Amino acid sequence: MQDMNLQVELLEKNSVQCFKVVGEIDAYTAPVLKERLAAVEKVEGLHAELDLSEVDYMDSTGLGVCVGFYKAVSNNGGHVKITGLNRRLSRLFEITGLNEIIDIELKESEDDNATL
Amino acid sequence: MNLGSSVEIITEWDIVAARQLGRNEAKQVGFGTVDQARITTAISELARNIYLYAGKGKIEIERISEAGLVGIKIIASDEGPGIPDLRKVMEDGFTTSGGLGAGMPGVKRLMDEFKVISEVGEGTTIITTKWLH
Amino acid sequence: MPQEVTKQYKEIMSKYLESQSEEDLYVGQQFSRRFIEKDIAPEDVISIHKSALFELHPNLRKQVWDSLDFLIEMMIHYGLTMREHQSLVRKQEAIQMEMNVATKVQDTLLKTVEPDAEGLDVGWISQPAHQMNGDYIYFLNQENASSVAVADVIGKGIPAALCMSMIKFGMDGLQNENSSPDNVLGIINRIVEKSVDDSMFISMFYGKYNSITSTFSYASAGHEPALHFSSGTSAFTELDARGLLLGVKKEAIYDEHSVVLEEGDFVVMMTDGVTESRTENGFIEMSAIKSLLAEKKDESAQEIADYVYSELSRMQDYQLSDDFTIVIFKKKTV
Repeated sequence: MQDMNLQVELLEKNSVQCFKVVGEIDAYTAPVLKERLAAVEKVEGLHAELDLSEVDYMDSTGLGVCVGFYKAVSNNGGHVKITGLNRRLSRLFEITGLNEIIDIELKESEDDNATL
Repeated sequence: MNLGSSVEIITEWDIVAARQLGRNEAKQVGFGTVDQARITTAISELARNIYLYAGKGKIEIERISEAGLVGIKIIASDEGPGIPDLRKVMEDGFTTSGGLGAGMPGVKRLMDEFKVISEVGEGTTIITTKWLH
Repeated sequence: MPQEVTKQYKEIMSKYLESQSEEDLYVGQQFSRRFIEKDIAPEDVISIHKSALFELHPNLRKQVWDSLDFLIEMMIHYGLTMREHQSLVRKQEAIQMEMNVATKVQDTLLKTVEPDAEGLDVGWISQPAHQMNGDYIYFLNQENASSVAVADVIGKGIPAALCMSMIKFGMDGLQNENSSPDNVLGIINRIVEKSVDDSMFISMFYGKYNSITSTFSYASAGHEPALHFSSGTSAFTELDARGLLLGVKKEAIYDEHSVVLEEGDFVVMMTDGVTESRTENGFIEMSAIKSLLAEKKDESAQEIADYVYSELSRMQDYQLSDDFTIVIFKKKTV
């Protein structure tokens, strides 16, 4: 169950910790992401980005991980930005009202230099 | 009177030396082939834990006698990272984790008595005994 | 070592070595159960074999004895793993029993009474994907008003189930309060925000039907929009209202909207186990769900709910990937 097709890659660009997530985020893979994010969420004033442009599907468990991360980082005076959302994922953020509190960016408006 | 000897565990070859010493001692005490193999396997697991997770440590082997019984005592000690959650390490299922302390439930099964003292940052000492029945 | 077992093993083996008959092998197979009954480890079985062989044929070559010693060594780990496995199976059985009890406790604890309001037909179904349900329905009955909260605790299984009793007791406390949807969500949000850990959140849709004015008023805390079916136009409208998931932000504000139900109109409230149903060929589209609902528009609320459930679970080969909940409020035709 450990390596169920979810990869999380951490790269730093202009002092922003960017997590590039590849795969589907569901009840089985969400713990992988959670563990990776937990390692940095306590950092004071963290600037983090979750790049979900390679995530086709995310269920409510995955959403829970994103929100938990957002809360932890905000409480420590940091900022989280979620980028690369496809139509289905952005609907999820809209329905849950999270788009009003979390900085999100859709796939279309992604910068050219945002990818490696 | 306690007869004993010890092996420093630094390289993987030292595991073999500890096994050899353990098997000889077990034979001397009078254990049969199967119990010799069990004692040796236990030593092997303990030594391997030291080699993989603590870097270095020591296996001491003693022949013991008490109240008309004879047996063998193994003391495995290291100054490695220590085990934070001993209860978890002793649970079945942990063996397959492949992490620090893996194989401890197995060692406990192979032997008669088993005691572990561990302090995070200080190291771990495991004392285990098998009696000749 | 049980002497009796060793002696019998020797006899059976001796017969087989003479005749190599199938019958002796069959006897041997029956006998092998004794090893398991008496909890004899695999390495001991080989040791028994070795001593029996030595008594029968002491003059075999040295390599035979050495190889058996080697095999004993090999089987020690095998035996350990096997015993560990047995112990895990026993543990799992114990957990399963506790789960069964927990499920029953959940059912009793979270029991809710379906409203019986003038002119309103209520139907609902809630099926867990696994043993414990992370979806929750709560009905509130007041004079001339029937309300329902449909909640989905993010995360599944036991933690979600535990969280639910908190919602239930929060809602119980509302009996005499102002039960307007926006107010209810505001209160529950503050309870949840105070009590749950950072990665647990709840989405909730709250709907209230006033049987005097036939008005359905609603608010949503990050929940799937409800669907309103109009019998006049035979069309569906999404009932969406702005509002954040419960438990994220203490001062969250919930919008409230309302719609008047005509005879034969119905409102469908669902969790994402319905709208995010997946088959091998991808997601089941909202339009497919709407047509299922429309097919049964003239049936009772319960029949509509049951039909959508049976059709959607059939499309998913009866393997629900998420907890599945539908509540339908339908205005009766006179």
